[in-house]
Amino acid sequence: METTGQLLLTVLMGAFLLGVAAFLARVEDWRSYTPLGAGGGAVGESGYGHAEKPAGLIRWFTTVDHKDIGLLYGLYATIAFVVGGLMVMLMRAELTTPATDVLGSATFYNSLLTSHGITMLFLFGTPIIAAFANYLVPLIIGADDMAFPRINAIAFWLLPPAALLIWAGFFPIPEVIPAQTAWTMYTPLSAGVGNGNQMNVGVDLMLLGLHLSGVSATMGAINFIATIFTERAEEVTWANLDIFSWTILTQSGLILFAFPLLGSALVMLLLDRNFATTFFAVEGGGPILWQHLFWFFGHPEVYILVLPPMGIVSYVLPRFSGRKLFGFKFVVYSTLAIGVLSFGVWAHHMFATGIDPRLRASFMAVSLAIAIPSAVKTFNWITTMWNGKLRLTAPMLFCIGFVSNFIIGGVTGVFLASIPVDLVLHDTYYVVGHFHYIVMGAITFAGMAGIYYWFPLVTGRWYQRTLAKAHFWLWMIGTNVTFFAMVLLGYGGMPRRYATFLPQFATLHQIATLGAFMLLVGGVIWVYNIYVSWIEGPHVQSGDPWRLDETSLNTAEWDWFDAKRETSLAATDGGEEVKADGGEVVDGAPADDAADDE
Amino acid sequence: MARIFDRDTLLDLTVNVIPLGIILFFVVAFVLVDPFGGLDFYGRVLQMGLLVFPFVALAILTYVSGKAIAGDEKRSPVFFQGQATMEGAQTRHEAEADIEAADEAAAAATAEAEAEAEADATDDDADPDTTDEE
Repeated sequence: METTGQLLLTVLMGAFLLGVAAFLARVEDWRSYTPLGAGGGAVGESGYGHAEKPAGLIRWFTTVDHKDIGLLYGLYATIAFVVGGLMVMLMRAELTTPATDVLGSATFYNSLLTSHGITMLFLFGTPIIAAFANYLVPLIIGADDMAFPRINAIAFWLLPPAALLIWAGFFPIPEVIPAQTAWTMYTPLSAGVGNGNQMNVGVDLMLLGLHLSGVSATMGAINFIATIFTERAEEVTWANLDIFSWTILTQSGLILFAFPLLGSALVMLLLDRNFATTFFAVEGGGPILWQHLFWFFGHPEVYILVLPPMGIVSYVLPRFSGRKLFGFKFVVYSTLAIGVLSFGVWAHHMFATGIDPRLRASFMAVSLAIAIPSAVKTFNWITTMWNGKLRLTAPMLFCIGFVSNFIIGGVTGVFLASIPVDLVLHDTYYVVGHFHYIVMGAITFAGMAGIYYWFPLVTGRWYQRTLAKAHFWLWMIGTNVTFFAMVLLGYGGMPRRYATFLPQFATLHQIATLGAFMLLVGGVIWVYNIYVSWIEGPHVQSGDPWRLDETSLNTAEWDWFDAKRETSLAATDGGEEVKADGGEVVDGAPADDAADDE
Repeated sequence: MARIFDRDTLLDLTVNVIPLGIILFFVVAFVLVDPFGGLDFYGRVLQMGLLVFPFVALAILTYVSGKAIAGDEKRSPVFFQGQATMEGAQTRHEAEADIEAADEAAAAATAEAEAEAEADATDDDADPDTTDEE
């Protein structure tokens, strides 16, 4: 009986494998789109209709085209942003009352807190930047594709399993609970020491997921460095490299040095948890060792996340100011300066741990020094707009919002670099307010500026202008309401990471929650706008939809877009393009033109 | 070397000299003022190392990048960001020449207008030749 069963299974498996083989043989002649096949760069041609690509899902699962991979990164980041956003909405709902009335469980709040941080930083922040970089850098620097297209695809496909591992604790799997370590994963809590529940396998899965996302980021970084160094067109000398590619190059350098260190520290932590090593145990390396290793990665991570958005703003903001970026080389050199100095400031996250006061003093000094390059950029953006011919389009509004929020986030950060101030404000909501001004108010705003600016380039269509502006204003006001309330909460002494609080903090917490709901509404509008416009937005009517030629501010990626449009108009087998051509007649003016008069 | 690091390039690099200056200031300050003198020597070495290492690294990177960027500026045409691969894009040199020409034309026009106004104001003393030219 047993033998029959096994025989049956074998036959079934054989039939299944045959089926898979038949399916693979049917869908595609796999050799037909090796990236370097057919005389150098199937990818360079891939924008001109998609006749050479397989259709449907197979295209997306097998693509090595940098633009397709960029779009995959974008979709992935969007999903992660929605997940992380919904998590924090639950948290903000919980924080409307001093007790745990809404969620009913502080443990669940801690799980959400941990996952929100990790999701936003590793599954949204890094991938959304990779989305822009993958799509645009090769176009702007005149490369056929990334230097290693397959590694590019691998780097992306490591991310979905990373997300599943990081979120594993939330899935209905018996005996697996979510990590509650906060995103910093401080030992001894994260080592599972003591009577808590953090010895659970959910924490191990989260650590493995993080490790996987780090491997992905490192592969991507190597690819960008190789691409920018070796694949540039001849005319793109170092003096001609655009600011966005400079920031991606610097960011990739930071990833190259920072992420492997995180990987090593995570492996050490996993060994401590599962194999009784003592890297971070009191009798071994000590819990402070974790903080040093973590922040040696963690502080550069801040700049890994903020430099490319700064690049996007430096790239987009001049287009709507009617002039070139003021002090272009200042911005480039200050980007590089930030890259180096970011490795010399890690222990300013540890001023309150009781480390040697002389070391604290040194970290304070470098932390004050690193404020200069950031301030230089800010002045350059302001000077670019000064007396410029501003066009308040949606991407420009987000750029201006970026500058405004970055100033508040940056100035609150400079105070924290000072040891005496930090000792008072450490672990309060002031810190939470400060870094959210940067990650939400600046980084995400720049991401939105990029999404709206390049939406016509990617889709050939216009987004809905009114909805985009509603999105901006809801977010601009929502961000400031939420995070300024947090700064004030911190001054009042409200500690971070608590599900409950003293009644005296209730009003400011409720204000913060109100702001967070504005962010939610804005986010819903954004998703709706992007989705609907992608499907049925009006087609752009020229290869220069932002009319950049009028001010001699057009750039290479729009040149590519123009060429692609002309080719696809001429071709009759344009696939998707033809179907969309049957759409309604569109007003020839760009969607944001009317903003000129404002 | 001297050709690459000319006045303009050095001016561009001042942006990184300021953080270097801040670090240098603290090195000097910590050498002169040491409120933790009673502690071990090892910590003192680390304290200085944490300042010296970023200082040296930043100085090297500033030099290398300055050399690469300014060197390429001297060797090949310079375009505005993102325009290098575009057909018919104006180089920075051409754009600056255009602006200068426009400025000169404007200045000439202004000077002419001023001269005319002056001539009108002092009509009695006006040099007949100049008036004729106008």
